[in-house]
Amino acid sequence: MIVRCALRELTRHPLRTLLAVAGVAVAGAMLVDMLMLSNGLQTSFRELLESAGYEVRVSPAGTLPLDTEATIRDADALIERLREESGVAGVAPVLAANLSMHGELERSVFALGVDPDAQGVFRMLSGRPPGPGEVVLGPEGAGGDTLSLAAFGTLGAVAGTTPRALRVTGRARFLYVSESEVPVALELGTLQAITGRRDRVSFVMVAATPGTDPDALAARLAERFPEVRIVSIGELVEQAEQRLSYFRQLAFILGSVSLIVAALLIGTIAAVSISDRYGTIAAARAIGISRRSILLTLLLESLAQSAAAVAVGLTLGLVTARQLERILSDFPGLPEAVRFFVPDARILGIAAAGILGIAALAALIPAYRVTRMPIATTLHREEP
Amino acid sequence: MSPLLEAHDLHRTYDLQGEPVHAVRGASLTVPASDFLALVGPSGSGKSTLLHLLAGVDRPTSGTVRMGGVVVSDLPDRARARHRLLQVGLVFQRFHLLPMLTALENVEIPMAEAGVGRTEREARAAELLVRVGLGDRLGHRPGELSGGQQQRVAIARALSNRPPLLLADEPTGELDRKTGEGIRALFAELRADGTAIVVATHDQHLADAADRELWMVDGRLSEHAP
Repeated sequence: MIVRCALRELTRHPLRTLLAVAGVAVAGAMLVDMLMLSNGLQTSFRELLESAGYEVRVSPAGTLPLDTEATIRDADALIERLREESGVAGVAPVLAANLSMHGELERSVFALGVDPDAQGVFRMLSGRPPGPGEVVLGPEGAGGDTLSLAAFGTLGAVAGTTPRALRVTGRARFLYVSESEVPVALELGTLQAITGRRDRVSFVMVAATPGTDPDALAARLAERFPEVRIVSIGELVEQAEQRLSYFRQLAFILGSVSLIVAALLIGTIAAVSISDRYGTIAAARAIGISRRSILLTLLLESLAQSAAAVAVGLTLGLVTARQLERILSDFPGLPEAVRFFVPDARILGIAAAGILGIAALAALIPAYRVTRMPIATTLHREEP
Repeated sequence: MSPLLEAHDLHRTYDLQGEPVHAVRGASLTVPASDFLALVGPSGSGKSTLLHLLAGVDRPTSGTVRMGGVVVSDLPDRARARHRLLQVGLVFQRFHLLPMLTALENVEIPMAEAGVGRTEREARAAELLVRVGLGDRLGHRPGELSGGQQQRVAIARALSNRPPLLLADEPTGELDRKTGEGIRALFAELRADGTAIVVATHDQHLADAADRELWMVDGRLSEHAP
């Protein structure tokens, strides 16, 4: 009977209920988006790093991978020594460079030089990985059987800057490249020759053997190789979190604001709806309906309304997040795979629980007050 | 045989902006089973307040209300609510039905609160509505009923837990003369079936239908018209 009373009361004022649901849904959508934003970059960044299959990164001292244009010198010797370390399952060197593409189109490309047998920076979509004198292109862009590439700018003075024709062997999806860049992959030796950076790499990816703790491996390697910086993925994510902490703060503040707005809205609607019914509620108490039953009915009304708002709000939040993602993904320099809004069942659950909890609390105050009103005085006021 | 309801030396004083207002002054009365008593008096004389005290809706400043051996005025809030639910039927001038529920569901509410199972309460509610002449209006909501029909639903609701005492505050106050006659006839039937009835009313026709009248003036109860 309590459920019936609560639901019927909501359908009695369809416009009021609809507006209340819409208002709380918008606040709920904002909460969902803020929760996703507070977590999305870190989650997608971690997933991106883990997807490469290498848990440790080696970069020039004082830098992080691809943070600067600095390179590691005497790379061949370093790679050999790393391979000999216990707990190391694989080593994947990477040299990154901006090259100039010659041909029908003159444009800049972002080239990654890799060991074709051990790399974690791209996934082949078609064809095969590049060997010496070969190149793999990104999913879209310039096609053809050959591509002419050369180092440009200040590197033009060094050896090997003459445009070099490379045979195209396939297409790949690049993990760490932004949408605005045109990525290509070459065999490491070929890129070193084109750029004149012999025996140099930008960073090295190290895979741990099964059962080896990547953090412990990174710490051990860091002690053994003080001339370079060695960090685990976990440390990289931590550093990224520190750099992106303002996102969390912004999300926390805006998320809190949306919860407060929802609470005020629900509280106001509950208070208005209850004050309309002082006489009926006083009469219900006069005929012996308990405070508990009345409180439960009023709380259920608020919860049912908020549950509908949560359903709409979560959907709206997911749709809005997709639109916002499109806008933010144009941010320059971000790898394509990095996402600002990552949908997560836990986040949706937290948002739903947050709105429902705040709805119960916001409705509790006017509901509790009305059950404590003196019956006789209220009836005197309501009756002519 | 002891009376169904006994009120002894009831006083009720309100505080109105620091000034005491004596709504009821030393009212005493007894209501035997099957009695039909009318409380008559001008507006503001204290009739509604006395009715609230008799029902256990309000507590007297001093004095006692006793029903079935229980001093109602001394009961804690929860026990008084239970007493009102099971021992007293209350009818209001403005009906106070729940507008979102049907007539049948409105009558069911006190039974649901009392823990009566759904099948039984539906059957009993339907039976009561037939008895008050609304057998063809079970599924209608209050907004679809006339004032007289709504008051009949309210009376059926008041009788749903089979209380021995029905208290009605101006039950014909919002009704036209013809509809009021129907309510008077219904009260007469209920009294004949053994329900004691106390009404606070301005309606002399209703008062005339009662077994006896008590007059209330300035919070004082009298057997004689002022």
